[in-house]
Amino acid sequence: MRPLTETETKTLFEKLATYCGKGISNLIADPSSKEDRYVFRVQKDRIYYVRESLANLATSVRRDNLLSLGTCLGKITKTGKFRLHITALSVIAPHARYKIWVKPNGEMPFLYGGNVLKAHIGRWSDDCPEHQGVVVLSMNDTPLGFGVSARSTVEARRLDPTGIVAFRQADIGEYLREEDTLFTT
Amino acid sequence: MAPTKSTKDLNKGKSNISGSAKKSAKLPGTAPAGISKRKVRNQTLAKPGGAQKTKPKSTDAGKKKKRVYNETELDIPKLNGIIPAGIAKPKGQKKGKKFVDDPESMIAIMSVVNAEKEGHIESKIMRARQLEEIREAKRKEQEKKAEYRKSKFEETKESLRKKRKNRHSDPMRFENIENEEPKNTNGKRKRVSFG
Repeated sequence: MRPLTETETKTLFEKLATYCGKGISNLIADPSSKEDRYVFRVQKDRIYYVRESLANLATSVRRDNLLSLGTCLGKITKTGKFRLHITALSVIAPHARYKIWVKPNGEMPFLYGGNVLKAHIGRWSDDCPEHQGVVVLSMNDTPLGFGVSARSTVEARRLDPTGIVAFRQADIGEYLREEDTLFTT
Repeated sequence: MAPTKSTKDLNKGKSNISGSAKKSAKLPGTAPAGISKRKVRNQTLAKPGGAQKTKPKSTDAGKKKKRVYNETELDIPKLNGIIPAGIAKPKGQKKGKKFVDDPESMIAIMSVVNAEKEGHIESKIMRARQLEEIREAKRKEQEKKAEYRKSKFEETKESLRKKRKNRHSDPMRFENIENEEPKNTNGKRKRVSFG
């Protein structure tokens, strides 16, 4: 377990910024505040968002014995890119910039790994450009997952009901579907 | 290099000695007619300790001028392989990773990333708006064209209708039609019966 390097921090923030906008600055505590701040830590190839006191405690555990700590945000691929995991949803959903609300008839298709269709959309954020990260919510504001917008909001309005509005990237159905591999490193 | 030289010299010396010894053995008895006095003197001088010393000295001086380089001095890459431009690190740089753990530097990185992303999104939105305007203009133009075409079609239809009416209103024609009509009604109708 170690802190992130400069390049790792940059790639992480770039990815988070596609979903969160300016809200991610809340993830890093104000340096002047005395409260226990949250830090990012790398364990093997995964990045975790951990309370600093917990991270300090975890230094007493051997690296190869430490499986996980805090909230796993995602993993660094071998090519140096960063891939967000569904476990990061609780971190990005409160600060999401663009959102799509899915009607109850679209919840199950999305949770089974399908893309978001126009017919399933209840509401969406205005002025969302193409290929921008969006957080998918149910109509009662429960975050269901996240994805990438397939079309801008203006274009999506003209789309037919079966057209794809957002490509799925992660959904909370993965907790069951990927149960075996989600937390293994 | 020096030891090899010395061995060569030794060999040379040996051969010379043997050669000179043979010739010296022949000289006293039978003096061959083709050999001059000078040559003979030279041959007698060719002894290990004598004039021979001058020859290897001259060769040694020529070779000393060449500078022998070490591998380290030549600065040749170890495996002589190609180092990709991205991987090559400048010399004298500190090894290891630079960790970012203090909130100040993290906030600095975040602000840079945010500004970049913001710029991207803005440009995307602007481009989308421009494209939308262009599309809107094109659509309007097409609608206009379609309307014009429709109106033209209607006009031609109308004109054709008028022409036909004119033909219908022609008295001769009208009579003919009237005359023909009763024929059709009174004429035998074909009937089909079964059984």
